[in-house]
Amino acid sequence: MTATVQGPGTSTSTGTGTGTRSTPRLVHGTDPEAAALLPEGLARTFRVLPYAVVDGAVLVAAADPADPVVERVVSEHLAQPADRPVVLVKHTANEVVAAIDAVHPPVEGRVETPEQRRARTQLATMLTASGLVEPDQLQRALVEHSRTGDPLGDILVAHESIPEDVLVAALSEIHQMQRVGLADFEPDLVLGRRLPEPLAQRLQAVPVAEAEGAVLLAVARPLDAAAVSEVEEAVGSPVRQLLANRTDLDQLIQRVHSAHYAHVATTGLMESHPDSSAHVVVTGTQKAVLVMALVATVVCLVIWPMGTLIGLVGLCSAIYLVVSIYKFRLTLRALGTHLETDVTDAEIAALDERELPTYTILVPLYKEAGIVPRLVRDINALDYPRTRLDVKLLCEEDDTETIETIRSMGLPPHFHLVVVPDSQPKTKPKACNYGLQLSTGSYCVIFDAEDRPDPDQLKKALIAFDRVGPEVVCIQAKLNHFNQDQNLLTAWFANEYSMHFELVLPAMGATEAPIPLGGTSNHFRTSVLRELGAWDPFNVTEDADLGIRLHREGYRTAMIDSTTLEEANSVVPNWIRQRSRWNKGYYQTWLVHMRNPASLLAQTGFRGFMSFNLTMGSAFVLLMNPIFWALTTLYVFTQWGFIQQLFPGIVFYAASAMLFVGNFVFVYLNVAGSLQRGEFGITRTALLSPLYWGLMSWAAWKGFIQLFTNPFYWEKTEHGLDGGHA
Amino acid sequence: MSTPTIDPAAGPAGGPSTPAPTVLPAGPVVLTNRERLAGVVQAVGRRPADVPRRPWESLLVLGVSTLVYAWIGYWLVVEMHVVGFETLDRLNRALMVWHNDPTKLSALGFDYPPLATLLLTPLTIFTSPVRALLVVPLASAVFAGLTMMTLNTMMRRAQVLAPLRIAVLVAVGCNPLVVLYAAGGARHFIWLSFVVVALGALFAWYVTADIRFVMIAGLAYSVAALAGYSSLLWFVLSLLMVAAVLARLGADGTEVEGTTVGFAAPTVYVIALWTAFNGLLLLDPFSWITDSSDASSSGGLPSFSLVELATATGKLVLHGAPLAILVLPALVFAGVARRNTFALWLAIMLAAAVLTPALAVALRLTDSPLLMRNALPILLLAVIGGIWLARSAGDASTLVSAVLVVGLLASIPWTFSSMKTYEYQNLESAFAAAVSTRESQEGTRTLDGSTVGLISEEAMAGWIRDNVSRRSSILTDNAQTYAVMLLTGRPDLFFDRVDASDGPWLEAAKDPAEHVDFLLLSTDTDNDLLSQLYPDAADGADALLTVAYSTPRYTLVAVPAGFSRVADSSDDEGTEGTS
Repeated sequence: MTATVQGPGTSTSTGTGTGTRSTPRLVHGTDPEAAALLPEGLARTFRVLPYAVVDGAVLVAAADPADPVVERVVSEHLAQPADRPVVLVKHTANEVVAAIDAVHPPVEGRVETPEQRRARTQLATMLTASGLVEPDQLQRALVEHSRTGDPLGDILVAHESIPEDVLVAALSEIHQMQRVGLADFEPDLVLGRRLPEPLAQRLQAVPVAEAEGAVLLAVARPLDAAAVSEVEEAVGSPVRQLLANRTDLDQLIQRVHSAHYAHVATTGLMESHPDSSAHVVVTGTQKAVLVMALVATVVCLVIWPMGTLIGLVGLCSAIYLVVSIYKFRLTLRALGTHLETDVTDAEIAALDERELPTYTILVPLYKEAGIVPRLVRDINALDYPRTRLDVKLLCEEDDTETIETIRSMGLPPHFHLVVVPDSQPKTKPKACNYGLQLSTGSYCVIFDAEDRPDPDQLKKALIAFDRVGPEVVCIQAKLNHFNQDQNLLTAWFANEYSMHFELVLPAMGATEAPIPLGGTSNHFRTSVLRELGAWDPFNVTEDADLGIRLHREGYRTAMIDSTTLEEANSVVPNWIRQRSRWNKGYYQTWLVHMRNPASLLAQTGFRGFMSFNLTMGSAFVLLMNPIFWALTTLYVFTQWGFIQQLFPGIVFYAASAMLFVGNFVFVYLNVAGSLQRGEFGITRTALLSPLYWGLMSWAAWKGFIQLFTNPFYWEKTEHGLDGGHA
Repeated sequence: MSTPTIDPAAGPAGGPSTPAPTVLPAGPVVLTNRERLAGVVQAVGRRPADVPRRPWESLLVLGVSTLVYAWIGYWLVVEMHVVGFETLDRLNRALMVWHNDPTKLSALGFDYPPLATLLLTPLTIFTSPVRALLVVPLASAVFAGLTMMTLNTMMRRAQVLAPLRIAVLVAVGCNPLVVLYAAGGARHFIWLSFVVVALGALFAWYVTADIRFVMIAGLAYSVAALAGYSSLLWFVLSLLMVAAVLARLGADGTEVEGTTVGFAAPTVYVIALWTAFNGLLLLDPFSWITDSSDASSSGGLPSFSLVELATATGKLVLHGAPLAILVLPALVFAGVARRNTFALWLAIMLAAAVLTPALAVALRLTDSPLLMRNALPILLLAVIGGIWLARSAGDASTLVSAVLVVGLLASIPWTFSSMKTYEYQNLESAFAAAVSTRESQEGTRTLDGSTVGLISEEAMAGWIRDNVSRRSSILTDNAQTYAVMLLTGRPDLFFDRVDASDGPWLEAAKDPAEHVDFLLLSTDTDNDLLSQLYPDAADGADALLTVAYSTPRYTLVAVPAGFSRVADSSDDEGTEGTS
């Protein structure tokens, strides 16, 4: 309910309220409590300020009370009971601005300059006058502008109210600059590279031609004088700016510098941290140790066959036992408690969106054209200003279908199509490394194509980064599945993830143990990620490897209570492929970090060292499972004395404890994980998880064999098999 | 290289055409955790805060209780000779797990619930404390300490003041029935302690809605189930309670199902596993329940009319756990009048504890009707009920706690006096006599006709330790001579029925000279398989098998070289059986 009072002497009611001659005005003072009813951003953008409450009505000073947008914004955003009347009281713009400045003292850099305001107003007028923007769209964009301070045009484009080309045309009018179309442009690479890549990236500019002794520079937005001189110094000649479509410009920068990006993406870690790269599977020293151990075992088997076999069985039983105890201890610690960094709704609401950094989202895609529309929808659903998102859709060059799908969608410029040149190894980490070089965000996160993160995840991660110590450079969100009800396999998968992400990882985070990161939803401080050499393109569980590497460098990972839902593999062969890759990656990671155990021990400490080995040990336990299951089954049916001899005394007790107690404990931990997460519907499937372990062992053996036959091969997981359970 | 298109026209009207808009999927996108958990009663993060953890206080209660009962138990067992032979049997089995020749987990056997013995194995790793009988009181004291610790935590959750908590613990702990079973090594406190832990966890769950406690309760019941089959009754009642409480709080079917599955899974698993073992090894999957002393009768049970049963039940409660007479109606009142769900369920459990002994007799599931020890679960449930009433009393919490203390203290002399004369009992009268007279009870007879003491066993064990050193050189039926074996601390000296199962043992029994140097025989030939084969030798009257050493209850005879038993068909009768 809004009324309008025109001028100091007269009053005109446009709503149900009325104004009178005695209506107080700003000159009579501003009630701070009334002023607090409207956020500063909205007050400045729309030049309105609540300043008094008289006879139960809120008086709002407005420079343009007749503007329907102003009226609607005030009625929608004023923090007061809906039935309380609001009266817009006409004041001059200067009066309102002065009053706003008095209530909210302006902070340099946060408040729009007169020039910026003029340009914004001019843009809004142009767009509305030509009918290119609807009032609703404009209002929404203005409200977002008042929260974020981001350019109105960028907001309109991000929300697809207008296309980027329209904005470019409008800006060219406002700034009186020529435009350049780059859609089908074949660049002169030599000319393009005259502007060094870091500068091109930072300024979003590329030399596209030379004319009349000047370099024609395609720019996303007009550069200021300092930037222009920087460019001129770099290219060695005067430049003339031409406004370009941001999406086209981005593609052009990628094409000009693709060779550089591809080289760094593949060899960056290998050259900067060769000891951490999995491009060599087993080092010479490791080979020597393994061969010697093998020879010693064979010799012992020949001399003391039964004693050696008992020793091997005892060793395996001991590994089983310690791995199991470690995992059990972790889960017990996490059961029923909140070890994750907790972020409240109030903290999220209190975030000043003007202070939000640009956030890069890396989304590797391969042959997933069908999933792109859903991906776009879910990323746009994130509670984060789109103008501060830098979404990299990372496609392989040979995946033309996905590339064409993305192109055909005409996505707004916060989505960036990144085409990774076809080269070996063709892995997700290499694509991520490629995308990381193009990233503009202070923070970055990886999501898979089918991921559905909690909408507030980015903000939660930012708050968590602020709260934890500077040593925490990675925040891992929880992963789970949206199609857990699809079949038994997906339910088991959800059981497993519930235990891993609800219990095991939070406990590892709380104990500052090296965390093998999950494949997605790990948020990084971008600068540190680059410093670490990013992901290892030769490691097929680059996420786990990176988690260990950052721990070795003294950094830490924390968990947040935010979930990303993924598609659980619902088809056994597809699941086996995915899981065999994970296991192969664990073996790779173990081999890489155990190249120099002393160094690992020194860097991670005894607890970290043990934690790493016990965590990776779980992959080796999966290899042993079928052997022990076979022995047990054989013994039950045959009572073969030879098997009995393999398990003397204490070995038998340990093996029995693992068989009867350990196995159940692990089944029950799956139950516990699901209960902890509140997923009661899949509790009973957890009871059947021993069957799932059979599949896990199958995949483990496949991965183990592939480690020697095809170590860098990326077993691709097919997505989109959820059969409508999404 | 192509040329970029430079558009000289300034202004939006001259802009290039816009791409066709892409139709994106609409509708709700992602459910947040909060939305997903909106209807969940037990969601993490939306529950009342639990009391702060105080591990040191818990450890202190556990440690002090254990030490006190161990000290009393040592006096009771070693000086007063008040000890149950069942405890010695279980300890001997536990000893055999580590020190037999060969070491065998199957020494646990099927006579007792497996965990009643397995949980004692840590006490028998070293043999010296076993020989000195130090482990006998510990076999129950540790679990009594666990019970006290759980009661203390429950009282903390009930916000009972610290002095009153101590008073309640002292009053419960000094109850003579509690002292006897906590200090004497009996197995009842093993399963009872885990039932109390489970109930304590459910208590915490009801207060905090923290699902972790349901899982803890489920795990505790799984241990309790294999330590004493009677605990299955409390498990079933608790399962119903969990489902009923959730349904009352508005949980949907999925949450009720998931929670009850999580609660029941451990117990169902262990029972299924134990059933499978029974099936595989005894060829009778339900032997654990049909042949168990916990839930079966050998047919010697006297007849009881309903009136007699009711009277006996009244006496049991009146003498063993009079507190229940106060607490049960109070719980029912709180449950019905004040709609206190947990109070109502505690009332149901307490009523079940009261009725179960009579029910076991009515269904003929026991050989030992309405024993005084049956009052132990009634007493402990009454205490838990009292604690819950104190929590539910609000401002009157302190008053209720004080009444609980007074009730418990008042019942101490009453119960102690009843132990001397109560009709159905084990060692209660011997315990009461030992406490009253401070004199050893060696050789005295209990009200059920058993003889108290273990001098015979100690003497035989001492002789064997001093004179026998060859492993597996004494053939014996360990099901009867376990006390001697235990007191030697050397089960490896014996060729028993566990070493190589009954088949090879029987072969050796028929031709002992081929296998052993001695036969250890029980003078009571009713149950001893070896004594049945050599009755004269058991009496010390066999000309060939000369007595090496004998006590009133045992005879050790030497087996001469070349000795061979002349077998006849009648001798072999009755030798089949399992240990």
